[in-house]
Amino acid sequence: MSFIPGQPVTAVVQRIEIRKLQHGEHLILGFSIGGGIDQDPGQNPFSEDKSDKGIYVTRVTPGGPAEVAGLMMGDKVMQVNGWDMTMVTHDQARKRLTKKDEDIVRLLVTRKSLEQAVRHSMM
Amino acid sequence: MAGMNNSKNQRDSDIQKKIDHEIRMRDGACKLLAACSQRDQALEASKSLLTCNIRIMAYMSELQRMKEAQVMQRVALRSSDAGPTDDRLPCKGKVAISDLRIPLMWKDTEYFKNKGELHRCAVFCLLQVGAEIHDTDMVIVDRTLTDICFDNTIVFSEASPGFELRVELYSCCSEEDYSAGSTHRKLASKLSSSLGRSAGKKLRVAMDPGACSPISNGGGATLLLPLPSVGPKYHLLAHTTLSLSHVQDSFRTHDLSISGNEECSHWVPLYGNVCCRLAAQPHCMTQQMISGCLKVKQFGGDPQSWTNVYGVLKGTNLFCYHRQEDIEANVEPAFTISINKKTRIRASEKDLHSKAQSICISNHYGGEEVTHTLSADSREDTHRWMEAFWQQFYDMSQWKQCCDDLMKIELPSPRKPTLVTSKQGSLYHEMVIDTSDDISTVTDILARRMQELELRSQLGTSPPWMSLFEESPGCPRTHNRLPHSPLRCPRPGLLSSEASLTSDSYSPCSTSPCSRHSGWAEPLSSPSSHFRPRTLSLDAKLSTLRGRGYGGVLQCSCQPPSSSSLAPIPAQRIPQATLSCSSSTSSNSSSEGSHSPELSNGTSFSRPSSARRSLRNLRAKLDPRNWLQSQV
Repeated sequence: MSFIPGQPVTAVVQRIEIRKLQHGEHLILGFSIGGGIDQDPGQNPFSEDKSDKGIYVTRVTPGGPAEVAGLMMGDKVMQVNGWDMTMVTHDQARKRLTKKDEDIVRLLVTRKSLEQAVRHSMM
Repeated sequence: MAGMNNSKNQRDSDIQKKIDHEIRMRDGACKLLAACSQRDQALEASKSLLTCNIRIMAYMSELQRMKEAQVMQRVALRSSDAGPTDDRLPCKGKVAISDLRIPLMWKDTEYFKNKGELHRCAVFCLLQVGAEIHDTDMVIVDRTLTDICFDNTIVFSEASPGFELRVELYSCCSEEDYSAGSTHRKLASKLSSSLGRSAGKKLRVAMDPGACSPISNGGGATLLLPLPSVGPKYHLLAHTTLSLSHVQDSFRTHDLSISGNEECSHWVPLYGNVCCRLAAQPHCMTQQMISGCLKVKQFGGDPQSWTNVYGVLKGTNLFCYHRQEDIEANVEPAFTISINKKTRIRASEKDLHSKAQSICISNHYGGEEVTHTLSADSREDTHRWMEAFWQQFYDMSQWKQCCDDLMKIELPSPRKPTLVTSKQGSLYHEMVIDTSDDISTVTDILARRMQELELRSQLGTSPPWMSLFEESPGCPRTHNRLPHSPLRCPRPGLLSSEASLTSDSYSPCSTSPCSRHSGWAEPLSSPSSHFRPRTLSLDAKLSTLRGRGYGGVLQCSCQPPSSSSLAPIPAQRIPQATLSCSSSTSSNSSSEGSHSPELSNGTSFSRPSSARRSLRNLRAKLDPRNWLQSQV
């Protein structure tokens, strides 16, 4: 999942559709994110490339909407509802996921196992 | 006459001894200069050499002056004129100069952009009163400095009120290469031996032929020898002269006369001022000028109400003790009469009851005039006291503002070990944590440091990280004010909410790997040779420990052991159970869907109030070392 600056990134992605859940006053998705271009990428335990400043899923609430939809811990979020997530600050990412007028978020995520699976299938 | 001669001879030989001593030091410095290869050694040796030379010159001129005075006196005695009137001499005093600071004036392009080679100069100051010359430590100056600061306090013990303190700033470019070739040494020794004889002769002729011991001759007469051609040479960069009018109990700025210009190699752009604290303690303020038995009566009182006291005149007061022994016993005096510039003292013709004259001392206390009458046992004593009072008044008129209040002079204490908060390094770089050390070693080091620095905390220079040890859990950690307090010792009793110490994580990672320490430690301009930046960061240490399974709560020996939970969390995978626990607490505390970082499982700490929590959250958010996580 490393990238060459300036070059387009290609990745095998999985589409995940999460329906937000009403929890008290808030609509929650049931996972946590970490990362962002304003964060220190070296502290990201999930990234393969420690200079990757993308948004990663750090926790998935068991039984929550995200888990049900198939999101897994360690996934890198590439897009949210069409908005790019590879070059955003942490707060921008959070805002894009928690828009109040959206009930559903469609994520494009990538993970290592996906790449491996594709490679295996091609061999 | 004989006695006078003896004392003069004594003084001469004292100076002679000093000259010999300086010549020996000078020889040593020359040899060192020729032998050393390291730049800072050479700079120090050259500085000693210059200082020795100047001292020798000063002693020589002092010797000359004394001889001239001797000759004048002999002439005066022989002549029929009466001797000079018995001039009153003011008392001597201590003069101290400290906290010298010379501001620099770099071109803003040089200072801010920090481009180009770092041109460095070595500077030091020479301070001279009469024949007493002191030097400060040498300081290396480059364009990252805004001021040259000399920390030394220099005290001249016997200065007269008309003293002239000459401050000279010497500088030397510290870039050249001073390799001492053997040819240079030979040349130098040849010069010294050939000049020695002729120089010695010249000097001996110049001095009074019949006088006392000659200057050391032969190879030692190197007085006219120029500085050795090898090695760094210091040049005079600026000077000024301070005197009694500049003495004050606080910092003052004085003008500097600068010699040299930009073209010189030893040039340092000076702003043109020097700030320092010049204080003086005349002996009349610190020593007992006269003491003896007296009878004191308040004016207008009953003629029989004389009090017997033991009076001590010191500074601006006449202390009257009941008995002489009270002084040693530190008992308070019975009463105190001020003797200051506004006091009026006169001898009065006494009434018929006493035989001797008595002395009347009047002061204004508030709006009132209070007069005390003193009487001594005999006429001679009265005369002595009057004489002492006149002398005191004279001293006060000579020392002027120094006699208003006693100025404090701090004696230079023996060298303390390098300050932790020096700008060369930080505690961070001083702490060498071995991989085999555990957390208690670190806290031991910190505790020892705290003890060391407790002394200094009175001066108000406690280092920033001391605030971490303050026992107020409510006080917000002063992140923004302390950019370089890299330690993260967990607050006693409370778990830090920082990501580096939360238990929620992913223990395999090291939250702040070693290579990161440069990110927040202040970039060092010239790291001191003592501290090698191979230290592991405390955070990395803690995270490694955590990885070994100590769990979320770290036991610090400085911390009262918080109850329970040392439940070791298995290293690699976080079990779901723990996650659910923390997620529920965090979802409870989430306010707008984003709060970061999450608080760890709250089994062993009290939930902080929301105000504190939000403040901590904010601080945690702003700390670039945290890797923020947001719940969505």
